[in-house]
Amino acid sequence: MAEATTNTRGWMRGASAPLRGALLGIVLERPGHGGDLASRLVARLGATWRIDTNDVYRLLDQLVADGLVTANEEPRRDNQRRTRVVYRPTDLTENALTAWMETLLPREPVRLGLHAKLVVARDEDAPRLVAALRDYERECLRLAQLVAPTTHEMRSWTALVMDCTRDAVWRQLQSDVDWAALTRRRINERMRTRER
Amino acid sequence: MTPLLSFANVGKRFPDGGREITVLDGVSFEVEAGVFVGLYGARRSGKSTLLRLAAGIERPDTGTVRFDGRVLSTMTGSQRGRLLRRDLAFMASGDWRPNPGESVVDHVAMSLGSEGLTVRDARRRALGALERVGVTATCGSEPAGSLSLAERTLVMLARALVHDPRVLLVDEPAVMPSLSDRNRFYVLLRELAGERNMALLVVSEEMGALQGAGVMMSISDGEVCTTEERGTVVPLPRRSAGGAERPGR
Repeated sequence: MAEATTNTRGWMRGASAPLRGALLGIVLERPGHGGDLASRLVARLGATWRIDTNDVYRLLDQLVADGLVTANEEPRRDNQRRTRVVYRPTDLTENALTAWMETLLPREPVRLGLHAKLVVARDEDAPRLVAALRDYERECLRLAQLVAPTTHEMRSWTALVMDCTRDAVWRQLQSDVDWAALTRRRINERMRTRER
Repeated sequence: MTPLLSFANVGKRFPDGGREITVLDGVSFEVEAGVFVGLYGARRSGKSTLLRLAAGIERPDTGTVRFDGRVLSTMTGSQRGRLLRRDLAFMASGDWRPNPGESVVDHVAMSLGSEGLTVRDARRRALGALERVGVTATCGSEPAGSLSLAERTLVMLARALVHDPRVLLVDEPAVMPSLSDRNRFYVLLRELAGERNMALLVVSEEMGALQGAGVMMSISDGEVCTTEERGTVVPLPRRSAGGAERPGR
């Protein structure tokens, strides 16, 4: 197993750990300024992650504080009189990424907002739940539209892993749509039974 | 502008033992030229029925299905047949029925039989369509019955395209066992639709098969849920970044 590379492995914990790990990999592939790194991260993970550029800067600051990335002002290529902050990997970055690859990523808790509504819903909330499930189904379909389609042969490693990411999103959304449809059907059936 | 294809409050029921099951219930949506509409649904959700209604192969029990403003259910059988040989193309993986010993080219050319073309011209058009979908001339002379599932799917696509339809209806494109074959097919479908300003209505039980759809719909319990608020599907500018297409408002 790769050695832990910083004083703590704290950067691998918490809700933002997957994004920090992916960002570390992006910096290791090629240094860049914040905007460049953010757009490469979005291109890789897809629009469904809804990544905020401000979040990327915050994550970069954390990686800099952990010694996994350096941040230095460098002259811009297009205008030597102006500078911008370029993020580069450090001696620790490669091992840190390897260590992250080896960590067990626990399944995230299922925290669909609709679950919370369902468990406390009263009989009279049934029509509201059906409407909420319908909206959720529509939202899943909208998210599916955000997934960039396959446009190339999957010969390169990058193309392959990006396609696997897309597949993960589609399958997750598909399963959510199935669940929403099934739940609507069950509630509708109960409403019809009660009406009789 | 008149939509190319429209469903207005369409209902369809089928007998199931001693009772009737509702397969489609008050389905309404419209498809404009050049738009890719993807319909996701689990098995037996009614998506294939919806597609057969769109092709005029089945008639609705309630509501109307229109193609280019004309109500399909009031057209005669020969008018609907003509429509299916010209403006509308219907492609379903279960419809692969080549005649024994028929070559691939002839299988595609035969579908042009009633268009008054000479055999030579029909074959020339068939070869052009086959070439466009990536089936080589060598493969074209082979018996259609000897093809792999992936090759069959491409030949069926060529057979659908040889009429230069305005709408292509595809029932379950995700039948090919190889993922790379499937991905190539999805890319090809989108390219062809773009080149010809052809509308696509694709139904599948795999959401990934609908990648790149400008409008997404799902079907369950006979009802259709769509990304369009009022069930209207309109052509919209395509987003360039990442190649994804998004509907606007």
